[in-house]
Amino acid sequence: MAKCEKCTFFFPIPEEDMDFEPDKGDCVRQQEDTKGKFWLSRPVFRSTEACEHLSVQTS
Amino acid sequence: MPTVATPSTERTARLKNRCRFKHVAGGEYVHAGVKAGVERARLITESHKKNIGNPNCIIRARGLANILDNITIHIQDDELIVGANTEHPDYFPMYPELSYFATVDMVESHYCDHQEEMREISEYWRPYTIQTKAEKYFTPEELGIMYSATIVQPPMFVTAFSSIVPTYEAVLEDGLIKRIEDVEQKIADANASLRESPWNAQDKLGLLDKIDQWEAMVIAMKAVVGWAQRHARLAKIMAENFLADPKRKEELLEISDICRNVPAYPARGLKDAMQSKWFTYLLCHSVERYSSGYGQKEDKMLWPYYKKSVLDQTDQVMTYADAVELFECERLKVSEHGSTKGRQLREFFAGSNDLFILTLGGTNADGTDGSNECTNAILEAAANIVTTEPSIGFRWNENGNVETKKKVFECIKKGFGFPSIKNDEMNTQQLVKYFNVPLDVARDWALVLCMSPGITGRRGTQKTRSEGGSDVYPAKVMEIALTNGFDEFFSNVQLGPETGDGANFKSFDEVWNAVKAQIRSAIELSLRSKDVGRIMELTHLCCPFISAIDDGCVEKGMDANALAEVANPWHNIIGGSVVVIDSMTAIKKLVFEDKKYTMAELMDALRNNWEGKEEMRLDFWNAPKFGNDDPYADELATKYYDLIADEWKRNTTYSGTYPLPLAQSVAGYIVNGPKTAATANGRHAGEALDDGGSSPYMGCDKNGPTAVLKSVSKIDASKHKGVLLNQRLSTVLMNSDAGFDLWHAYMKTWHSLGIDHVQFNVISQEDMKAAQIEPEKYTDTLVRIAGYSAKFIDLARYSQDTIIARTEQDMAG
Repeated sequence: MAKCEKCTFFFPIPEEDMDFEPDKGDCVRQQEDTKGKFWLSRPVFRSTEACEHLSVQTS
Repeated sequence: MPTVATPSTERTARLKNRCRFKHVAGGEYVHAGVKAGVERARLITESHKKNIGNPNCIIRARGLANILDNITIHIQDDELIVGANTEHPDYFPMYPELSYFATVDMVESHYCDHQEEMREISEYWRPYTIQTKAEKYFTPEELGIMYSATIVQPPMFVTAFSSIVPTYEAVLEDGLIKRIEDVEQKIADANASLRESPWNAQDKLGLLDKIDQWEAMVIAMKAVVGWAQRHARLAKIMAENFLADPKRKEELLEISDICRNVPAYPARGLKDAMQSKWFTYLLCHSVERYSSGYGQKEDKMLWPYYKKSVLDQTDQVMTYADAVELFECERLKVSEHGSTKGRQLREFFAGSNDLFILTLGGTNADGTDGSNECTNAILEAAANIVTTEPSIGFRWNENGNVETKKKVFECIKKGFGFPSIKNDEMNTQQLVKYFNVPLDVARDWALVLCMSPGITGRRGTQKTRSEGGSDVYPAKVMEIALTNGFDEFFSNVQLGPETGDGANFKSFDEVWNAVKAQIRSAIELSLRSKDVGRIMELTHLCCPFISAIDDGCVEKGMDANALAEVANPWHNIIGGSVVVIDSMTAIKKLVFEDKKYTMAELMDALRNNWEGKEEMRLDFWNAPKFGNDDPYADELATKYYDLIADEWKRNTTYSGTYPLPLAQSVAGYIVNGPKTAATANGRHAGEALDDGGSSPYMGCDKNGPTAVLKSVSKIDASKHKGVLLNQRLSTVLMNSDAGFDLWHAYMKTWHSLGIDHVQFNVISQEDMKAAQIEPEKYTDTLVRIAGYSAKFIDLARYSQDTIIARTEQDMAG
């Protein structure tokens, strides 16, 4: 199974932040509905199994 | 003509157009898509399971930290103020640790998409809820009375409904990093003190609990800083990865910078202050626990930052127009904020989301005029954007400037129903006299909820509804006073002491004494439930973040629920006071003075809803009525309001003093009408009660607005936390060239008569009837219910008709 670390929506947490943990990152996704666009962020780890929104980094 | 919103910028027009409103009608959320979020409930449960065995304050702090570290956060397009209480902008959170009933009510509704998981969570929490912990101190009969919502509001430990005034200033002025350092120093000092020689248990053992409380505060504050940093990262990631518009990218980078700075550090200017205030609001009102309200003296709190940004232009520089836009954004943010209430409370706030009321005007701590340019910007934003929420309370001081009063008038003239007006001098003096608040502190008061003043600032503010709040329902109380304490009409339950059948009463004193005995019983049950709830809160529902931002709690190492540094007990008497007064007046005159009818005949008529007794009903309907400057009715009114004040005064609550009553109604006058049998004022069973705390019964005030004011002025309002007066004013006059002058003269009369409160509806009969036929044309037409405003088209027909039935007063008359 693919892991979150491969996803373009995975953004590592800076070491100086309060919620920093090794390999922890923000999973940020854009959503849109009839009321408009919004962006969601939830914590994941590099080793977390990727969800159906996985977007694999090409570089 | 329909009310038309005029947002000041294209952004706020877009935000208004797509606003995810969360208001309810008929107990249901109006907008499709509103759902119960599960993440908060899931995360606090997960943490609770891991932390059982720790001190309760530590369990609560880790629960909060688990929520803030892991809940999905979001930022919407165009937003300038960010942050929410749930994982999705359409959702509201759930609080399984508070009330089992309230949780199950929501879990079993169509708002919950995760029913299986939430059933498991609510069952897990059942033994730990404050509901379960408190219920054992009441008999099944007492619980039955309270849960029937007939003579008293169900207790806080089952409704989960609370209220708070957060100590915003401590966050804005200090920032949390400094407060973390201060608290860590206290822990270090306490640990050193424990090791001092010689050992003295009497002095030292109390430090153990304080150390736990301080450690919980540190955990909570660090989690909050981390949560703000998550927002900072999200805004930056959006700017750098998702958006092309350079202007929005720049805004998001600024939002990121703001969330890095606050609430961790002191606010630098108005943008920081608004964001820091919003984060603090979310945490205190809907993340750490649920509490209603929007209690703040906003113009005073924001003035230093407004001055820096707008007037001095030294930090986060902006124009007056920019500030107005920011306040419009705030109003829309509040409109989108989802609150979680059980069905009884959703019905009680018909047309509303929650009771969001901010306070403006009055005086500064030194007695100078408290209205400033920031006050005007907040009022202008309200006039532009046209949202029901947050409502505004304006402290009317004789020395307040006329420019601001004109802006207050502009909002009222447009029919918003707010600002509601409170007598500034009277309410300031009451805080000094009854609650021993120093004058300079008292002068910074704000409304805790609809119309109950409490102090603001860095310490000692109200933290829970077990301090002030909860309701007694007087019309039902009078009904059972005539039926031996038994509810024959609605619940078939013995609700109060056996005070005899009204048919056998031989004197008016017997009627009066039965009502007094029933009121006493209801008050005592309600107060006991509040104080038992308070003990459950401070034992099982510690609030480490709320405590961490109160200087008193930090100083003393105490939980905010436990520390009653400034007592502020008050208790609502909801919808029906004037029905009681008019009924007693009619009984006194027609039965015991004129002897036209006997009590037996009256009880027969009431039990049969006046059926076949229309002539008799009209006699009772046409008896003297409160609100007409009629000494006969007003004398009894004065006696009634004194009675309720005296009855509350007999009691002492957790915070060590007696509560003041607060006569008002919210939509209780609508909801409780169908539970109340026919009454001796000529009202049929099921019809609405009186809409306020001293508003004349619908259609019964026939002698003009000054007569209403004179009747109300006979109540000794100084004995009450508030006495709500609803008035409906002529749209023609309010919109005429002389409108402000006429209204200003009316307000001067109101003030000179020493009346506590007034709020207005300014909407024509024609517009309300047209809105009933073509609601799509009246989407921004607001009306005042009582204590809050609602969109007219969102009200049920029954509720709309109660507004239409209110007497329209002609101020020139």
